[in-house]
Amino acid sequence: MKRLKQILKWIYGYKKIYATTVVLLIALQYFRTLTPLFLTHIIDTIFGDEPSALPKFITALFGGDTVQEQLLIVALVYVMYTLFRVTIIFLRRFINAKFTENVAYNMRNTLYTHLQDLSFTYHSHAETGDLIQRCTTDVETFRVFIGEQMIEIFRLFFLVSLTIYQMSRVNVTMTLFSVIITPIIFLAAFIYFSYVKIIFRRVEDAEAKMTTTLQESVTGIRVVKAFASEQYEIDQFDKKSQTYLKEDFRLLKLMAFFWGGTDFIIFIQYAITLSVGIYLTTTGALTIGGFVAFLTFIGMIVWPMRQLGRIVGEFGKTTVALDRIDEIMNNPSEHKDDSTNTLDIQGHIEFKDVHFQFDDDNKPLLRGVSFDAKQGESIAIIGRTGSGKSTLINLLVRLLEVSKGEILVDGVPIHQINKKHLRKNVGIIMQEPFLYSRTVYDNIGIMDQKAPKEKVYKAATIAALHDDIGGFERGYETIVGERGVTLSGGQKQRVAIARMLLDDKPVLIFDDSLSAVDTETDIQIRRALNKYWKDTTVFIITHRITSAMEADKIIVLEEGKISEIGNHEELLKSKGLYSHLWDIQTAIEIDLSDLEKGDN
Amino acid sequence: MNYIDEEEFTESKFDINVWIKIFKMMGPFKKHLILGILSAVVLAITDAVYPQINRYAIDNIAVTKDLTLLPYFIGAYVVLMFVIGGMVYSFIIHAGQVQQKLSYTLRKQAFEKLQKLPFSYYDKTPVGWIMARMTSDSRKLSDILSWGMIDLSWGLLMMIFITLFMFLTNWQLALIVMVSIPFLIFVSVYFRKKILYSYRKIRKQNSKITGAFNEGITGAKTTKTLVLEEQNFNDFDRLTSSMRRHSIRAAIFAGLYFPTILFIASITTGFIMYYGGNEAAVGMIEIGVLYVFIAYVGSFFEPVMQLANILARFQQAQASAERLISLIEEEPEIWDTDEVIETYGDAITFKRDNWEKLHGKIEFRNVTFKYSKGETVLENFNLTVNAGEAIALVGHTGAGKSTIVNLVCRFYEPTSGKILIDDKDYKDRSLGWLHANLGYVLQSPHLFSGTIYDNIKYGNQDATREEIIEAAILVEAHDFIVTFEDGYETMVGEGGARLSVGQKQLISFARALIADPKILILDEATSSVDTKTEKSIQHAIDTLLNGRTSFIVAHRLSTIVKADRILVLDKGKIIEAGTHKELITQKGSYYQLYTNQFIDETGQKDA
Repeated sequence: MKRLKQILKWIYGYKKIYATTVVLLIALQYFRTLTPLFLTHIIDTIFGDEPSALPKFITALFGGDTVQEQLLIVALVYVMYTLFRVTIIFLRRFINAKFTENVAYNMRNTLYTHLQDLSFTYHSHAETGDLIQRCTTDVETFRVFIGEQMIEIFRLFFLVSLTIYQMSRVNVTMTLFSVIITPIIFLAAFIYFSYVKIIFRRVEDAEAKMTTTLQESVTGIRVVKAFASEQYEIDQFDKKSQTYLKEDFRLLKLMAFFWGGTDFIIFIQYAITLSVGIYLTTTGALTIGGFVAFLTFIGMIVWPMRQLGRIVGEFGKTTVALDRIDEIMNNPSEHKDDSTNTLDIQGHIEFKDVHFQFDDDNKPLLRGVSFDAKQGESIAIIGRTGSGKSTLINLLVRLLEVSKGEILVDGVPIHQINKKHLRKNVGIIMQEPFLYSRTVYDNIGIMDQKAPKEKVYKAATIAALHDDIGGFERGYETIVGERGVTLSGGQKQRVAIARMLLDDKPVLIFDDSLSAVDTETDIQIRRALNKYWKDTTVFIITHRITSAMEADKIIVLEEGKISEIGNHEELLKSKGLYSHLWDIQTAIEIDLSDLEKGDN
Repeated sequence: MNYIDEEEFTESKFDINVWIKIFKMMGPFKKHLILGILSAVVLAITDAVYPQINRYAIDNIAVTKDLTLLPYFIGAYVVLMFVIGGMVYSFIIHAGQVQQKLSYTLRKQAFEKLQKLPFSYYDKTPVGWIMARMTSDSRKLSDILSWGMIDLSWGLLMMIFITLFMFLTNWQLALIVMVSIPFLIFVSVYFRKKILYSYRKIRKQNSKITGAFNEGITGAKTTKTLVLEEQNFNDFDRLTSSMRRHSIRAAIFAGLYFPTILFIASITTGFIMYYGGNEAAVGMIEIGVLYVFIAYVGSFFEPVMQLANILARFQQAQASAERLISLIEEEPEIWDTDEVIETYGDAITFKRDNWEKLHGKIEFRNVTFKYSKGETVLENFNLTVNAGEAIALVGHTGAGKSTIVNLVCRFYEPTSGKILIDDKDYKDRSLGWLHANLGYVLQSPHLFSGTIYDNIKYGNQDATREEIIEAAILVEAHDFIVTFEDGYETMVGEGGARLSVGQKQLISFARALIADPKILILDEATSSVDTKTEKSIQHAIDTLLNGRTSFIVAHRLSTIVKADRILVLDKGKIIEAGTHKELITQKGSYYQLYTNQFIDETGQKDA
């Protein structure tokens, strides 16, 4: 039941179409079972004087006085009947494709939307490769299941049942003899395919090991060559290949035995049915036309039985895939039950005794941080790796939620402000910004796709990027990312700055966003930006003193706590970490012996 | 994710040479190929003969009501049972072996070539490309040459035998069936093209969707902070809508093909019913003949669709074959000369007895190096390094640090000029000789999946357990290794994923140490590790450098300070050289670099 719900959830809304394809399918199987009866009609009814085995709605079309006329009409009806049949076949396939593709389309879009809405915490723990696998391969598995395998089960089941029905209309004794072996065929296939799944997994494992060896050897070719291990690698790879070969051969033997064996069993059924049939024709219990019909009918039972056993045996792949997809869907969206408050944000930010630690971690990352940033102020936050700088920023845009204390924006606690609205008003320029695989132009203009060209160029110029782009072969039309040019860390950072320039935000955060740019350019960009963002509340996260010194307020973070706060002059006087860093950076004479001592 | 789909669609003109090369590889197991094809032949004959048994029974048992022939009929079916069962078994086992052995051979040859190819090959060839050749191409090719080939012979022969039997049974009716053949071919070619075309579109679209998922996931944080969710979704929806459209179109073509064939077959059957029926009515032919023709029409049309499919796959497989052959036949740019191989062996076979001891003096004499693209990295570069000297290379990215290192390792060779080791051009000794005396510690250490023990042993396959543990102790890796439950037998995971960065570094130090190299290359890591590991690493570096000629691409102040000589590089030239003290007092580029770049480190350490 749970499984059924799991499946139905995805085809909800398409149930009518699905029902239509299934009904058409059943009708088709019925028509298919009529095919051999045309020849039976010719032999028994036209040549002989038996009643026709064909149903009334078809015999009603027949007529003709001479045998020749009768034959002509039967042949014509047969062609028309086939035309009718193939039209429905096509129709059913078309409807089925529409249904299946809509389900897949819907599934992909739902997954994509949901992935975008999953929390930052979820994404920082997720494995990209695994997630992509779920969104592509698992969706495909389900698509094939719903569009082909399920349909195939219906098809085979009704084909076999309706064939048995038609057989019984021709001859009951023969029908009984024809289904003696069929359960064995089904069982053999079912058992084999259930069992072979295990063997199959072993083959896959062996193959995966071989592929891993290959991949590691290729990615680590430097190590291989440097240690002169080429021969060793060749041996290792050969060993893994041989193991794979051995496992694969075991599977092959099983396969050959199964297909050969079931063919053998199937022909036992043929032999039984036809021997009995041919005997019955001599006693007159079966007409010759009836015998000819059974020659075809028997094939419409035995082969589908094997196929049916196979599909049922292979079941399970789909449930695994659906479980994996559900694992994603069961994580709540971060926008669920979010506030709808979209107040006009001015830029006054206040931290009140803010604490943070991850639920699954007992190490607090922030321990009581309080400060006040007035609208238009610039605040520098300086501290070592792990001091809590990034956590602080993530809290401010609600990528993470405070554990204790509160953050106020214009006096309103941020959890009462709509997340998307908050993020639209608080811009972050990250240290390692992500660029989308489009053109440089599109990446800069991403926040305002209707921006005039001049505005985009101007933004690039302010971010000291325009000249770099001019150096690319295709200029602004250069595609970045995996399919195109890889930009340097500094270039990426400047793209991130440029794209922020196209949008007015009351609050901006530079999360170490010029770290890969040299000091001179850093200052140059910063000067240009200061003019541009006069009324903006700006946070500068950095560990470069020169970037911090011009800020209105400098906050020094140490182990999740504010150790110093004030402007440049004040902090220099307080003789803490800040003034110490300052001394090192500005010291004209570096005492060598001192340094070396420090290193050891 | 690798985007290699574009290539997969290339289809080239039939090239017999490629196929001859592949067929030559199949030599050692041609027995299986022949037996597989033979089984297919027997099966094709049975398929053609089997309706004849029924025909015979209809005409000679059912019609005449003569039971004396019944045992023969049963006997024929018993024989059929065994022949079909046996042949299907033999067909699968042989075709399967051809497939398995061919893909094994292809992979083996390609892998051996990969080991011989120089570094420059890996620079220009993405890992994904190589992986695709070794996995999907080798599978596609071996599939088509085993199953495809044998199915092809079965299909063709079945059609031939059926045609033959039809003409033997009744040539007038046979001609009626023959009339349908041109229609069949036309329809098959038409639909095959259409279907193939739309499948290509689908696959392209599919890889775009995969790319979009990738972007959505890896760019999640940026998307959230820029609030681009809706915009991204609209872009994504465009992709999935297009995928849906193409898929439905493909389904229409695929859905039309089979019904069309079925309809053509029904017209043929209609003709047989009418003409055959008339002849049977007047006693010109037996009822059995009528039956056998209708049965033949049914089985005649089945292989047609299969053949069209196999031929299309052959066409695609040629592209796979070409790529694989190109890999297998790739000439390594850097390889030992025949004379050198004669005396010293090459990178794979060693003639250790003839190897001279390597002392470690290295000299660059007028070395110029250009990438194949033409960019000059070093020009007339001269440098002499004495045995046992530690050289620190300092400079911006692109200054030439890694080029120098790669040249020393002979991963690249000078475009002009010479590199001498112990006063002799290093090309006069084998790659194996140099590499066996070389130790290399990478910036991001590459570990192989397996145990910690195996990974250390990688440096020297002859090392004993005691030596391995000793090396681990010397680089201070032993302490953390024994804290693991499985100790040295701990599995490191793929790429060493189960270890921390610092731990991986220490293990790679042990691996280099156990190799006991005369020349050591150390590409220092920039990543920060905790203080304790940092201390261990510094200590381990000291141990490693001791008594070896070493090149250090340095990032740690402590390492640089200890080097015998610091070379400051800029645009492929040495602009300053000397010890730390000398260079600091010079107040030149080194001083600049030092104050700018290493300040963070100093600041943190002192604080």
